[in-house]
Amino acid sequence: MVSQHLLHIIMLIEVLLLALAVSVYFVHGLWLRITSRRMQKLSHTARESLARLVLRGHVNLEDIELLKLLPHDVQTMAFLEISRTFSGTGKERLRFVAQQVGAIDRARLLCTHRWWTRRLRGARILSNLDVQDSLAQTLLSDPYPAVRAQAAEWAAAQASPEVVAAMLELLADPATQARFAVQNALLRMGNVIAAPLAAFLETHSGRAAQAGLRVAESIAEPRFLEAALRLSRADDVGVREAAAKLLGAIGGAEAAARLIELMNDNDARVRAGAASSLGRMRYWQAGSLLAERLRDQRWRVRREAGLALRALGAAGTLFLRKALKGDDRFAADMAEQVLDLPEAAAG
Amino acid sequence: MNEIKDLIAPFITQFLVKGQFAVLLYFLAVNGWYLVLLVSSLLELRRHMLLIADESRHLLLSSTLSPTISILAPAYNEEATIEVSLRALLALHYPNLEVIVISDGSKDRTVQVLIEKFDLVPVKTIYERKIETKPVRTLYRSSTYPGLVVVDKENGGKADALNVGLSFARGELVCAMDADTLIEQDGLQRMVRPFLYATDVVATGGTIRVVNGSQVKHGRVEKTAVPTNLLAGVQVVEYLRAFLFGRLGWNRLGGNIIISGAFGLFHREAVLDAGGYLHDTVGEDMELVVRLKRLSYENGGPGKIAFVPDPVAWTEVPESTKVLGRQRDRWHRGLADVLWRHRGMLLNPRYGVTGLFVYPYYAFVELLAPLIEAAGLLSLVLGLVFGVVDWTFAGLFYLTAYGLGTALTAFTLILEDLSFHRYNSFRDRALLFWWALIENLGYRQLTVYWRLRGLWKFLRGRKDWGAMERKGFRAVPAVAKPDAAA
Repeated sequence: MVSQHLLHIIMLIEVLLLALAVSVYFVHGLWLRITSRRMQKLSHTARESLARLVLRGHVNLEDIELLKLLPHDVQTMAFLEISRTFSGTGKERLRFVAQQVGAIDRARLLCTHRWWTRRLRGARILSNLDVQDSLAQTLLSDPYPAVRAQAAEWAAAQASPEVVAAMLELLADPATQARFAVQNALLRMGNVIAAPLAAFLETHSGRAAQAGLRVAESIAEPRFLEAALRLSRADDVGVREAAAKLLGAIGGAEAAARLIELMNDNDARVRAGAASSLGRMRYWQAGSLLAERLRDQRWRVRREAGLALRALGAAGTLFLRKALKGDDRFAADMAEQVLDLPEAAAG
Repeated sequence: MNEIKDLIAPFITQFLVKGQFAVLLYFLAVNGWYLVLLVSSLLELRRHMLLIADESRHLLLSSTLSPTISILAPAYNEEATIEVSLRALLALHYPNLEVIVISDGSKDRTVQVLIEKFDLVPVKTIYERKIETKPVRTLYRSSTYPGLVVVDKENGGKADALNVGLSFARGELVCAMDADTLIEQDGLQRMVRPFLYATDVVATGGTIRVVNGSQVKHGRVEKTAVPTNLLAGVQVVEYLRAFLFGRLGWNRLGGNIIISGAFGLFHREAVLDAGGYLHDTVGEDMELVVRLKRLSYENGGPGKIAFVPDPVAWTEVPESTKVLGRQRDRWHRGLADVLWRHRGMLLNPRYGVTGLFVYPYYAFVELLAPLIEAAGLLSLVLGLVFGVVDWTFAGLFYLTAYGLGTALTAFTLILEDLSFHRYNSFRDRALLFWWALIENLGYRQLTVYWRLRGLWKFLRGRKDWGAMERKGFRAVPAVAKPDAAA
């Protein structure tokens, strides 16, 4: 039988563990309570000082000194919090204050730290304060995707030609997180990236091109047309589909002509994308072709063709009504469903 | 009587000599593994907290480039709660969102309430049937909410309803949930992260917390509190343990094979390619995840299952032993069924870490635990009855067997406190600790009984769901769910 002595030993260990856990739990709770009150008070002081400094527009040394006295964590938290509500001059003043109290220098130091978590924090501070710094740019090639993604977020407010070029190269980043952050940041940069992105799309293919096409679709500049036409002939289905969507966003006769060709693509995703784009362009001349696609073998093509016809307005509705009485059951059903859709759901 | 005792006593003694040591060893081995999981989850949690500290999700994730999510919300007789639940879903902070409510043959006014409150109009019911399901009666679209789709179908159970939802979904990702689960407003923004971080993710799961005792207003949890009801309180501790150190710990040790059916995000194409949810199992959520994992090993495609601790969904847990017993019995039947269906993975090196570590853990620890525990308890009682062990020894054995588990639970409370600390007041802390302490005095033994009943029913081939009664989130009348998903 298991000896009582052994049981005593095991139980003693367990009791010690339990006692340790309970002490940590309650002491931590108490510590949280005390520190959260203290932190609340300090954060309030920091926020007030920062708000006064940023809103008044003149340097108040007393407030700067007060901020300097606060723990670094509190300072950083206050800067990050308040930075989200300011832009333009307000943010400039905030940067000035951050420089004065040493928050920016500390962030720079963090950016060079050997631990990626510290570099991430440094990049977050610099990006929240929109600090122009070559150090943050170097983080665009950091080995950690999370840091690269954060650096991309920083880059959104720094649309210099060098930064844009570095960002475009990151469109081929193997890490989804970094690629997504780059796409998003490029979008936020706005029209300044149109020319370099058009040049990039003209020379790239594959995953990088596909990521670029998605950004281009949201900007929808005519200068992407050449690249979109070229990429709509790519081997990769995803690229052709993205190119079709971009063509629909740009519009125009050339785009429409190519989209009509893409309606006969071998892949259903591309045909569906082309149909959707023609609807988006309200290209009523494609009405009969879209009506034909209501008979497509693939559901998603029939669906997109129906929705595109509905988007064409009166002309498209005529085709849909005609399909209702046609001999093709699939086309008739799809036409009926699309016609039934309330306005809000048909978009 | 005394003669019988004398006759049986040597056998009982023999049984106890070998059995007790084995049971105690099993308890220590299991708790030792839990300790490894705890350390693993501590490391994982630390990494996660560093990653999300000061993260500006609003800039990055409220983007038009974010993947579209289709929420699949199966509903059965949810007349009393559906309006509030759906409004809360439509108000979630996520840019590209589609909400599909699937009324699984509701017999009450669920569909009528939806029609009236959300300006629904019937549209021609055609859809791409990718998986065989019960027929769809009517398809509705809303005149005021472009992203809302309501499907009224014949009753077929939760799996069937989700499969119908999958056929209608247009999002790249689908979020499977229960209609009465309350997802926190930024829950989807947080849950989608793994899909953006890696290309091999097929499913992610978030944390489920117990809503009982908390204040709910307009489908949102306004103030969290630990319930004073014994059953609900103990379940708060159980849920914290299951999610915060169980699933989080597995993230680092080779991956999860469970995602809660109440709140999970899946890659739609991957689920469709796998054939959707199975109808003939009560553990359809776990079965799907195991199948996705298995197929990824067999076909070489993506198959990472990630648990994310910070997206939170709140759920109401049963406060009666009858209902809770039925739930636990069903969960255990589900576990047994899934493990039996995919038994080829057990200790099979072809399935990597899942086959060699995760699967055996679920088979030998989660599935068989009630058997071993019952054997231990039985041997103790028999020992006392036949005078083979004295009360001091029995008490010591009992305390030793459950002591480490209690200590580990206390460490889970610390994990919660170090990370999200949702329960801040002294009252809540004291209550949580109290529930952690007394969970072993009766409640745990009850769960052993329920799980054994589940195993027995599984062996007899029972596949019913049982009734799940809900009180509703404060101030709503009770709703019964007789034959659909809980």
